[in-house]
Amino acid sequence: MNDRPPRHDRPPSLDDLLAAIPRNVEPPARLWREIVFGIARRQRQTRYLALAASMACAVLAAAVIWAVLRAAPESRARLPLVATRTAPLATAPSFAEPGDAKYLATRASLQATFRERLALLDPTTRTRIEASLAVIQRAHEDIRRALAAAPADPLLQQLFESTWHEEFDLYVHVVHATQPTAAKT
Amino acid sequence: MGSLHYSQPAGRITAAVAGDLAAFEQLYREFAPRIFGLCLRLTGQRESAEDCTQEAFIAAWRALARFEHRSEFSTWLQQIAIRTVLQGRRGLRAAREVAAPVAGLPEVADPGSGAPPLDVERAIAGLPDGARHVLVLVGIYGFSHAEAAAALGVSEGTCKSQLHRARGLLTAALELEPP
Repeated sequence: MNDRPPRHDRPPSLDDLLAAIPRNVEPPARLWREIVFGIARRQRQTRYLALAASMACAVLAAAVIWAVLRAAPESRARLPLVATRTAPLATAPSFAEPGDAKYLATRASLQATFRERLALLDPTTRTRIEASLAVIQRAHEDIRRALAAAPADPLLQQLFESTWHEEFDLYVHVVHATQPTAAKT
Repeated sequence: MGSLHYSQPAGRITAAVAGDLAAFEQLYREFAPRIFGLCLRLTGQRESAEDCTQEAFIAAWRALARFEHRSEFSTWLQQIAIRTVLQGRRGLRAAREVAAPVAGLPEVADPGSGAPPLDVERAIAGLPDGARHVLVLVGIYGFSHAEAAAALGVSEGTCKSQLHRARGLLTAALELEPP
């Protein structure tokens, strides 16, 4: 329909004019570079979204633990008195970065107490807490792997620290919530 | 980029699905002029056409794994480009950009036709959106009414009446003899 060549023996018709319009137009040379940039940007966004979803799961897991421990105050009452190796913690200490030696020592100590307390909880509560902890640790591992590929990425660094602290907060929360109180006995 | 040169689009598509950007670049080199031309006529505005071509190829890259080889790759790409143009038009200002003097539109290929080339392009760009879209798809790119209607999300009847309207407006704008 459009391949008819224009006729020159009469004024051009509308169809002649439409047929003469080139179908192909060369785009500017820079367009390919912009497309590559756009593809890279979308892929990064997709990765961030996946990691953010992972983070959201981790936060949710922490919230679940908080709810589980609140809903089962009797677990605290049933706990025998256990010597706490860590100093009482009102909130998670804030350190500049997870690699800080003091932070690591506190964390290791807290983790040991957490394990002891966890073993004393009823099986249902323990299972829920362990499942939530696994979610947080999986998110942390996902982000660690992404960070290995892009170590200078500031958003990944921030997410990495967030999950690290998320896990720390969880230990604090469980240790607090299961703190044996002499008043209850 | 040291990538293989694929003689068939199917080979390039398969490689691109696996993440080979060089194979996708070969596809781009082959099909971009057609897609850019289509976007240019549909939008009537060079900058919008560049944006739409860029978005269409990014969307194609993301959707490549879903290309089923039942249709021509160029047809599939054109559908993506048309969708991108329509989405862009719905969104923003662009509506009146096309009425402004159309910068950067190419001249027609055959100056021997005696037609004032740029006037045709300008007249098409100045058509109302619906009429221009149908004229470009059916009158220039050879879509059937059914194909154009499906691509534009309108009925075939609407498509035909828009084409009639577009031809009437163009005939008047270019001071052509009525058929």
